[in-house]
Amino acid sequence: MTHIRLRLNRDGSEEIARFDLPDDPAESGISGTWEGASVSTALQYLQRKVDPSLAYVLSCRRGLCDLCAVRIDGKVETACTTPLRDGMLIEPTRASLQLRDTVVELSLVRRHRVA
Amino acid sequence: MGSSRIWDVVVVGAGGAGLTAARRARESGADVLVLNKGLVGRTGATITSGGGISVSGNVLAGLGLDVDPTDTEQDFAEDTIRSGRFISDQSLVQSMVEDVGAELGALMAMGVKPRVSKRAPGHSSGRGVHVTGPDMQKAVTTGATRAGVLFREDFLSAGLLRDAEGAVVGVTGLDRRTGEVAEIDARAVVIATGGTTSNWRLRTAPEELAGEGHAMALEAGAALIESEMLQFLPCCVIAPEIWKGIQFPWTIGPQAGVRAWLLNRYGERFLQRWDPVNIELATRDVVAAGSAAEVAAGRGSPNGGVYLSWAHLPRDIIDNMPLWSKSLSRDGRYQGFDFTPLIERIKAGYAIEVAPAAHFSLGGIHIDVDGDTGVPGLYACGEAAGGVHGSNRLSGNAGAQMLVQGARAGLAAARASRRNGLPAPAVNRAELQERVRAPMEREAGIAPLEVAERLGALTDSALSPVRDGTRIDAAIVEIGDIRRSVLPQLAVRQRDPGYNRDWSTAIECRAAVDVLEAALLGARARGHSLGAHQRTDSLDEAARPAPFHGLVRATGGALVHETRAVAFPVLAP
Ligand SMILES: Cc1cc2nc3c(=O)[nH]c(=O)nc-3n(C[C@H](O)[C@H](O)[C@H](O)COP(=O)(O)OP(=O)(O)OC[C@H]3O[C@@H](n4cnc5c(N)ncnc54)[C@H](O)[C@@H]3O)c2cc1C
Ligand code: FES
Repeated sequence: MTHIRLRLNRDGSEEIARFDLPDDPAESGISGTWEGASVSTALQYLQRKVDPSLAYVLSCRRGLCDLCAVRIDGKVETACTTPLRDGMLIEPTRASLQLRDTVVELSLVRRHRVA
Repeated sequence: MGSSRIWDVVVVGAGGAGLTAARRARESGADVLVLNKGLVGRTGATITSGGGISVSGNVLAGLGLDVDPTDTEQDFAEDTIRSGRFISDQSLVQSMVEDVGAELGALMAMGVKPRVSKRAPGHSSGRGVHVTGPDMQKAVTTGATRAGVLFREDFLSAGLLRDAEGAVVGVTGLDRRTGEVAEIDARAVVIATGGTTSNWRLRTAPEELAGEGHAMALEAGAALIESEMLQFLPCCVIAPEIWKGIQFPWTIGPQAGVRAWLLNRYGERFLQRWDPVNIELATRDVVAAGSAAEVAAGRGSPNGGVYLSWAHLPRDIIDNMPLWSKSLSRDGRYQGFDFTPLIERIKAGYAIEVAPAAHFSLGGIHIDVDGDTGVPGLYACGEAAGGVHGSNRLSGNAGAQMLVQGARAGLAAARASRRNGLPAPAVNRAELQERVRAPMEREAGIAPLEVAERLGALTDSALSPVRDGTRIDAAIVEIGDIRRSVLPQLAVRQRDPGYNRDWSTAIECRAAVDVLEAALLGARARGHSLGAHQRTDSLDEAARPAPFHGLVRATGGALVHETRAVAFPVLAP
């Protein structure tokens, strides 16, 4: 069974949680194997089917917008272009920027923002 | 709730169209707030674009670029109208071809360095330039911030505030970070929320384009035009999952002019039946429809596509492809991916399973050349707006549309805001608050994700590149059922207000039901195949009506489709 570990952060409390992925990804509309899917697809699956409160972000799905950046086994990568590996640890890119779970503050216009 | 400030202009959506509108409005003196669903500069289709911007050669030569100077605006307009099969709104075409040079010039003055296009598929001339998607998004973001535009990010706009007369006086939406349902008051609102492509399961387009802007405009009294027209990009990857929807095979195959073959599971080059001369190099609407028709007829590949094969070509040609293709680098990288394994499969003689992916919304909110929707205070621009492309879009024309319509809508909204003085109080504040909150407050009900899945199955069945009346009618019944029995029961599965994805999905689904019903009504009313709308049960050619527009409005609580004759001020069929 493929599993991943996620550093979750909600309202200040933090934990590393283990999530098992089902043997047959096709049942969730995912083509092929988990190893052929991206980290983003796994996060999306987990929010949909396992933990509705999981927060993640995703936009272009092709490595152009950097919105999905996370720290994977210590290294910062875009989740949408990184293939899933069994046992990988997924964390926010930087703890000081963490907003919720893997979501961090990546605004490019922070100084021009109201609210 | 929300701030007490009244903005001159509020722009919804921060892609190329929205940020051009915001900059132009700000430059003409308005104070401008942009609301964006995600982070500004990191969401929307603009960043993913191949970067084409069509501009006629004479205009580019005037900007000092080395191009064919004999190409004119009239040539550009005629190519556009023919490609759209004569249902383009020709006034929008005219303003696009006439104004795009000035908008490109403005970007160049801001430091953007376009690359001249050598080939512009579908155009009669190598017309236009390229600015990569990330460079374009960066330029419009910088332009707007320098002009003094302000932003609210992670703000999912969900409804338009209206006064007693029906004029638009602001926006209600969900702050996704905090879970606050906030109101933003404005003298004029510009919708620039992009396409509705996220409602299709296989798509090139990004995640967040479900059509809230369209639904908001419909509800406020605006019309949608040619909603059934969706452009599919053929030859996109369907497996493995990580590459799903990426157009890499298309870019190193037919788009690059390389004679790769499209085969069904019998090994037949089925496009010979659709376009015996050009075959795989036919226009994208033909390649998309031909591929989808094979799958529908049960002649597809195991993952629901067809085979794109280079196996008949000598290895010399395949090995040298990086020399000729901009998309194929020596290291096999394309956008964020390493496609080496796919290239190795091609070299080993395997075909790649491909299918058409939802790419671009040809239809959208009905506007005039100033982005005016006809509803006082409401403007629209960019991919959210319909009509300019008719039933098919030429390469680079979305780039031109985004810049020209963005500028026009921004300037018109700023003018309107000067006229409008102090907006009258909104009469639907409470109603919108209640509606946006409902999925969050309902004790139990249907998970939004289940609706999204049903809608995905519905678009696959009835709004794919090939359509037929039976499936369209069945989908109209299905969507009526979702509207009546499911939407009123949507409920989130957990109640943390911040980053609550179920809540956002619920708002998106509600909008998707409107835009998909409009698309189905439009599809039903077009009994003949036309451009992107290909019907396997297309009616007798002898009975084909004169070109018409299809418009959908919300009338008395229901969506109603009507047709209108096309005017031909530029070019008649
Ligand atoms: C892969 C790909 C390649 C393409 N290549 C080309 C090309 O080479 N040439 C060409 O001409 N065209 C191309 N296109 C099309 C072109 O990129 C788009 O039509 C154009 O960028 C649309 O710009 P826009 O500003 O209208 O919308 P977008 O750039 O999509 O921006 C819309 C914005 O609105 C925001 N938004 C949506 N809903 C809401 C809401 N409810 N509240 C607040 N904000 C919201 C989104 O977050 C997004 O930021 C391509 C498209 C794709 C997907
Ligand atoms: S979603 Fe854009 S880089 Fe991953």
